[in-house]
Amino acid sequence: MAVRQQALEDNKSAAGTPLLDVRDLRVYYNTVSGVSRAVDGVDLSVRRGEILGIAGESGSGKSTLTTALLRLTKPPGFIAGGSIIFHSRDGELVDLMKVSEAQMRSYRWRNLSYLPQGSMNSLNPVMRISDQFEDVIRAHSDRSTQEIRDIVPELLRQVGLEPHVAKMYPHELSGGMKQRVIIAMAVALNSDLVVADEPTTALDVHIQRVVIQTLGALRDNFGMTVILVTHDMAVHAELADRVAVMYAGSIVEVGDVRQIFKDPKHPYTKGLIGSIPRIGGERRRLSGIQGNTPSPTNWPSGCRFHPRCPYVMDVCPREVPRLLPIRDGQARQKPLVACHLYTEVQAESGGRDGGQ
Amino acid sequence: MAEIVSQGPPVSQPSEPRLVSAYRAFTVNHPLVAYAARRFGIYLFTLWGSITITFFFFRLIPGNPIDAYIQNLQTAQQNYSVHASQATVQYYKQVFGLNGNLFEQYYHYMYQLFVQHNLGPSLLNYPTPSQFVIARALPWTIGLLGTATVIMWVLGVVLGALIGWKRDKAVSEFWTYVTIALSHIPYYFVALILVFLLSYRLNLLPSSAAYDPGYSIGLSMGFIKSVLQHAILPAISIIIIGVASWMVGTRMLLVPMLGEDFLTFAEAKGLKPRHILTRYAMRNCWLPQVIGLGISLGSIFNGNIIVEQLFNYPGVGNLFVQAIGQLDYNTIMGIVELAIFGVLTANLILDLLMPALDPRVKYWK
Repeated sequence: MAVRQQALEDNKSAAGTPLLDVRDLRVYYNTVSGVSRAVDGVDLSVRRGEILGIAGESGSGKSTLTTALLRLTKPPGFIAGGSIIFHSRDGELVDLMKVSEAQMRSYRWRNLSYLPQGSMNSLNPVMRISDQFEDVIRAHSDRSTQEIRDIVPELLRQVGLEPHVAKMYPHELSGGMKQRVIIAMAVALNSDLVVADEPTTALDVHIQRVVIQTLGALRDNFGMTVILVTHDMAVHAELADRVAVMYAGSIVEVGDVRQIFKDPKHPYTKGLIGSIPRIGGERRRLSGIQGNTPSPTNWPSGCRFHPRCPYVMDVCPREVPRLLPIRDGQARQKPLVACHLYTEVQAESGGRDGGQ
Repeated sequence: MAEIVSQGPPVSQPSEPRLVSAYRAFTVNHPLVAYAARRFGIYLFTLWGSITITFFFFRLIPGNPIDAYIQNLQTAQQNYSVHASQATVQYYKQVFGLNGNLFEQYYHYMYQLFVQHNLGPSLLNYPTPSQFVIARALPWTIGLLGTATVIMWVLGVVLGALIGWKRDKAVSEFWTYVTIALSHIPYYFVALILVFLLSYRLNLLPSSAAYDPGYSIGLSMGFIKSVLQHAILPAISIIIIGVASWMVGTRMLLVPMLGEDFLTFAEAKGLKPRHILTRYAMRNCWLPQVIGLGISLGSIFNGNIIVEQLFNYPGVGNLFVQAIGQLDYNTIMGIVELAIFGVLTANLILDLLMPALDPRVKYWK
């Protein structure tokens, strides 16, 4: 347990240092109607100890992005380009796109763990929970069976589950319990990063709350880093430190959670925030966004939001705006926005440094 | 109105007999024991029922085997005497349990089977009782078919899992088509080709009998070698087609499994692909194959008639054909009962094992 405590301290002291740098990541699907560019040029930086929310509507490429982060993209999907630089705890830089499959396997779960979208079916139906813990712990450490049996109840307790859950089978657990079992697995190996894909979808509000609290505790108690992917803006408001807004396969805005909600910069983010109903205050019509999401087989030219944008300018259909930091009086971090409205007027030099 | 209803006489539960309530309490307290006992009861009942049906079914076959048998004896011995033959017929009828009406015969047969553990004398090898005649053929059948069944199951499941797991590769696509084609070819066709090529043309392997008559049955090296040599052709002809069928089945079970979330998740856990295939994918879909193996093993006892005929193998299947030719009731009945016993017992064992193989299976409430 002492080793574990030490690891937790290390996590906390490393907070704020870079963990993951995603550069120009492109994930395409081969479809009958051509190549679908679901994720097309994503730039993203994740720092240790933060909860980074990724927001966006259905079809914006959120889930494709999360599976690509762990190199779990399945055919017909393929990673068309880009790099994912992982900063290991001892300062080593690894490009996850370039390492061998065997090396990638050793990074999975030990460094990068994954809460899948369909957590309901993510546990092996014919194995006891404790055996599934044993599988993953054994794959990444040399602990004995007895040691593993001893720590599993403790891990379960940390996510608010009874120790006897270890002896149960997945079909004997509720959806929220399964979700927490998986979170406990991430805690078991003290993963640097947990990528949670729609962790609250298909759960009732009470269990959503429990899962949100458990995820929050991952960061607060264990100093873990969480990438939280969901279309549910309320979850972002509750948990995230920073929010990255995805539109049409790329990131259009990254900023502090307060800034995103109070003072969104990108016209798409403005529309997104404007469409959230609020409790209290004066009654107003929800604004929403005109038009529909474009097709990933045929993105609009230039800025992909221009056909729906109320502020569209001449330059928009011609040039792709870059994700650049802009001056912002109140925010602690300079927000990053990919919009010609800001590149024309306010953008500072320096380019795509991912928000440092 | 509600008050009036509530003031009515209390509805009395019909009281159960004490035995029924005791049974109910037992099933609640010992669900597994109660389940096994109930299952075993059903097993015994089915066994009895199918033996009864078989008995009456075979007695419906026209023709009296004894008359035919006596006729043969008499013509052979040339000493025709009405009086003597009447007495002889009467004697044999007595011995074969053919006296009285059908129900008296049934009683006689069941008494003989369950109390005396005797199937009655065989006609094929009179007066040796049928159970000994069958027991002589049984080791050959169990040896040949039992081994072949296990080999083809293991090969079929392992190879089927591999071509399913690597389903995107051209090699596994090729083998998928080959196995689908093979699984539809009758095995006797393969047997004929093998006999023609390996036995007649190349003269590599014997094509008939179970061992070289030069050896006496025993544990000598020469005899064992001869037995293995003689078993190769019949075994291979069953195995080739059997492996293909098991492969097609296993692949069909595995492929839909591969899209399951828990496999992607197992990959995300950083487990080795082989580990994911065996402990995650196969463990979740091989149950029908395990059941299939159990039933196949249970149904080898009636022999494989075509293969045994083709290779003149002295197994139960061959014996069965001979017994039918002679209308040897006792041997026919014995073989059919053995087959019924095998299948029913395999089913019983599978039913009792099932909850251990898959935790989601529960038979008791």
